[in-house]
Amino acid sequence: MSKVPITKAASNNLESSPKYAPVRALKQRYTRQNLIAVAILVALAILIPLLPQVKGWMLSQVSLVIIYIIAAMGVAVLVGFTGLVSVGHGGFLAIGAYTSALLTKYFGVDLIIGLISAMFVSAFLGALLAVVFVRLSGAFMAIGTLGFAFFVGTVVNNVSIFEGRDGIFLDNNVILGIRIEDFGFYYTSVASLLLVTLAVYCLVNSGTGRAFMALRDSENAAKASGVNRLLYRVLAFAISAGITGIAGALNAHVVNYVSAEVYADIWYSVDILIAVVVGGPAILFGPYLGGIFVVMLPFFLERLADFSFILKGVVLIAVLRFAPAGVGELILRPLRIARRRKLRSVAAGLRESEVG
Amino acid sequence: MGEHLRCQDIQVSFGGVRACNNLSLTVPRGKIIGLIGPNGAGKTTLFNVLSRFQSYDAGDVYFEGKLANDRMPHHMVSMGMARTFQNINLFKDQTTLQNIMTGAHGQIGNPISAMCWLPAARRRERQIEDYAIHVADMLNLTPELENEVGNLPYGHQKRVELARALASRPSMLLLDEPVAGCNDSETQELKELVFKVNREMGVTVLLVEHDMSMVMEVCDFIYVINFGANLAMGTPGEVRANKDVIAAYLGEDDD
Amino acid sequence: MLGQLILSGIATGSLYALTAIAVVLVFRNTRTINLAQGDFAMVGAFLGIYFLKQLGFSYYTTVLLVVASTTLLGVAVEWLIMRPIAKSDWLTLFTATIGVFYILTGVMGWIWGRDTKAFPVNFDPTPIDLGGALISMGHLYNIGWALAIGVVLYWFFNHTKQGIAMRAVTDDPEIAHLMGIPVKFIVMLTWGVAGFIAGFVGILIAPIIYVSPEMMDEVLVKAYVAAVFGGLYSIRGAVIGALMIGVAENLAGGYLDSSLKTSTAFIMIVVLLAFRPQGLIGVQKRREI
Repeated sequence: MSKVPITKAASNNLESSPKYAPVRALKQRYTRQNLIAVAILVALAILIPLLPQVKGWMLSQVSLVIIYIIAAMGVAVLVGFTGLVSVGHGGFLAIGAYTSALLTKYFGVDLIIGLISAMFVSAFLGALLAVVFVRLSGAFMAIGTLGFAFFVGTVVNNVSIFEGRDGIFLDNNVILGIRIEDFGFYYTSVASLLLVTLAVYCLVNSGTGRAFMALRDSENAAKASGVNRLLYRVLAFAISAGITGIAGALNAHVVNYVSAEVYADIWYSVDILIAVVVGGPAILFGPYLGGIFVVMLPFFLERLADFSFILKGVVLIAVLRFAPAGVGELILRPLRIARRRKLRSVAAGLRESEVG
Repeated sequence: MGEHLRCQDIQVSFGGVRACNNLSLTVPRGKIIGLIGPNGAGKTTLFNVLSRFQSYDAGDVYFEGKLANDRMPHHMVSMGMARTFQNINLFKDQTTLQNIMTGAHGQIGNPISAMCWLPAARRRERQIEDYAIHVADMLNLTPELENEVGNLPYGHQKRVELARALASRPSMLLLDEPVAGCNDSETQELKELVFKVNREMGVTVLLVEHDMSMVMEVCDFIYVINFGANLAMGTPGEVRANKDVIAAYLGEDDD
Repeated sequence: MLGQLILSGIATGSLYALTAIAVVLVFRNTRTINLAQGDFAMVGAFLGIYFLKQLGFSYYTTVLLVVASTTLLGVAVEWLIMRPIAKSDWLTLFTATIGVFYILTGVMGWIWGRDTKAFPVNFDPTPIDLGGALISMGHLYNIGWALAIGVVLYWFFNHTKQGIAMRAVTDDPEIAHLMGIPVKFIVMLTWGVAGFIAGFVGILIAPIIYVSPEMMDEVLVKAYVAAVFGGLYSIRGAVIGALMIGVAENLAGGYLDSSLKTSTAFIMIVVLLAFRPQGLIGVQKRREI
C-alpha cells in the first residue's frame, strides 16, 4: 500500500467518538449473543457421540456432515461473500485429500500436519487457478471451474502416484504420536469446523471481508473505494480453496482411504454448491444447514437412493423459488430484522446529541 | 502550491465518435475547479479517464507529478484521488457505516493480517471506524449510520457516496454532478460541504456540474468543454462573459 | 492414422457440437447455463431403449417419439420450473437446472436402475475405408445426422417466423417485446429446441457409450467448453470449438497418451480463457452477466 496523504481533519480527530458508543455497545451485545449460540452448538457437537446410537459407522456419518459443512464454508466464502461461483470445489476436496493421504503414506505425518499441508497446497492451487479465471464473468467462471474439477478427476484417475481406482489405504490416524479412533477423529473434525467458522467470521468482519463484499455488491463502487479487483478475487479463491482443502483431508482420513472412484466424480462439486445455496450462502450458519441437508438426505433414504436424488432436486428448486437467500436466512430473518431495527433506532437517536 | 492533476491532449473515441479530442486541463493544488459544458461534451468521459476507469487512445495524465497512464482505478485511490459517480454507485444492501468504511479500504494494511484479526490490524480497523463515524458526522449522516443505504432518500445517498470518497482520506476529490437530482436545500447543503472539504480539510476539488449557480459560486476556476474539445477557461466571471460559452449553451435548454 | 483420428474426432465432436448449440441457445436467450442439457439426452436414450425393446417400435418411429418427448420435456421444464424464477440472477437459474438434473437422474434411476444398459441398435462394426482412413458406420451415421440437424436448425433460424423471432429475442429481449414478439413463448420454444436437439443426441450417442443415468456427464462438460469457444453466444464458434475438441482429444489420445484424452478439453479451455476470455470466434455483442 502506498502512503496515504493524511488530511488536516484526519490527523487531529482520531480519538474514539463517544457519540457512537451506544451503537457500539449494542453491537458488542449481539456479538456476545452470537458467541453464546456458537458455544451451544459446540457443546451439542461434543455431546452427540455420547448418544448410545451414535457409534461406529453412524459416527463416521456425523463426521461426514461436519466435513461437508467445512467444504461448504469454503464455497460460501466465494459465492456468498465475494459473488464468485465455483462449480469445481470437488477438485479442491480431492487436492486436500490426496495431499494429506500421500504425506501420511510416504512420510507418516501427523494428522494435524496433514490438515495444514492440505490447506496450503489447496490454497496455492486455488490461487493459481484464480489467476487464470479471475477476469471472467460468472457464467464463464462456472464452466471453467467445472472443467477444473473434471481435470483433477482425470489426473487422479490416470497419474500413477494417485493409484487410480485401486486407491490408497492409510493407517490409523495419529495426532502427537497418539493413535486416534473414531471418537478422536470426530473431535478433530469438530475442532477444525470451529476454527474454520471462527476464521470465516473474522474474515467477514474485517477490511478484507469488506473488500470481498464490495466486489460482490458493486464493481464500480469497489473500484472507487480502491479495491484491487484481481488481487482480492485471487485471495478469495485461495482462502476458499484452502478451507475446502481441509475438508478434503478430513474426508480422506475419516475412512482412511482415498480413491479416484470417489474423487473423480465431478458431481461432488455440484453437491457442495447445493449445500451452500440451500443453506444460505451469505450467512455463516447457512453451510451448517446445507451440509446437514446434503449428507443426511441420502442417509435417511438409504434404501431409496434415487428417491433422495429426486427429493434433493425438488427441495433445491423450492428453496430457489420461495427462499432464494437460503433456508438459514429464512430461519434467521426475524432475528436479523429485529436486530437491524434496534440498531437503526439507536443510531437514529444519536441525532439529539448531535444537534446540540 | 503547484499543480495537482494535469492531463494533456486526451483523446477517446467510441466506435467512430470522438468523445474527447485533445482535451487538456490543469488542476492546481488546494483549489476548487469546475468542468462544464453542454450535454454530451465529454465531461464524464474525461472524468473516467482521469480516475482511470476509462482507457484512452492518446494523451497523458499526471497526478501528483507522476505519469498515471497505466494506473488502475485502485492505484489512483491509493495515490489520493477519490471520486463519486453521476449515477450513484453504492453497496445498497450494506449500511451507511459499512459503505463509508469500505471507502477506507486503503488503510486496512495487509489483507492477510486484517482477516486474521492481528492486534495491529484491529487497531487500524478501530481507526477506520472512528474516522468513518467522524466523516458521517460531518456530513450529517450520523442518524443513518446503521440504515441500509438502499433505504435512504436520493440526497442522502449522494452524501453517503461523498462520505465514502472522503473516507479514503484523499488529497483530491472528483465529483461528478454532485447536486444532480437534489432539491434546493440539499443543493445548498452540498455547496457548503464542498467548501468545508476544500477549506478545512485542504482537499483539491474537481467537479462536473450542470447547476450553473453552484459552479459559479464554489469554483475558483472553470474549464468549459464542448464536443470533446477545450472551449474556454477562466474565473467564473470571465467564463460567464465569454461569447463562445454563451453560444455553446444557447444551443440547448438552460439547466 | 492421422486422417482416421481426425474423422472419428469429428464424429464425436459433432455430438459435442449439437449439445453445445443447445447450451448456447438456452444461455443467450435466458441467461441460464443449462446443467440438465445432458440429462435431456439421457432421458431420450432411456426412452429409446423402452420404445425399441419394450414396445418393439421401429428405429425411425423411436427417433420420432424420443425427439417429441424430449422436446416436450424441455418445454415442461421451462414452464414449470424456470419461468417462475426467470427474473432471478444467473446463479439461481443455474442452480435450478442442477435441481432439474437431480430430479431427472433420480427418476430415470428409479424407473430403470443405475446399471449401464446396452442400446439395442448396433451398427455394423466393420469399418469403411475412406481414402485410407478407416471409420465405423456408426461414426459416419452420426456425422450425417448431425449435419442434417444442423441444416434443419439453420433453416429454422433463417426462414421461419419463430426462428427469426428467437434471434430477435437474443439480440435484445426488450426491443423484441416492443416489436410484438411473444418473448415468453419464444423462451419456451428455446427450451423446446434444446430438448429437440437433446433427443437426437441421446439416440445417437447411446450405441457408442451405453445408457446410464450418468452417461452424459463427460459430453456435457465438453459441450460447455465448446460453448465457451463461441463466447457462450456464437453458434458458429461453439460448433467449431466442439469439432476442435473432438479432433484434439482424439489426436492427444492417439499420439501422446490415452489418459490425456479426457483432459484435453480442460487444457484447451484454460489456454483459451487465459488468452481470449471473450471466446475464440468473433463475438461482437455479449450480454454482461
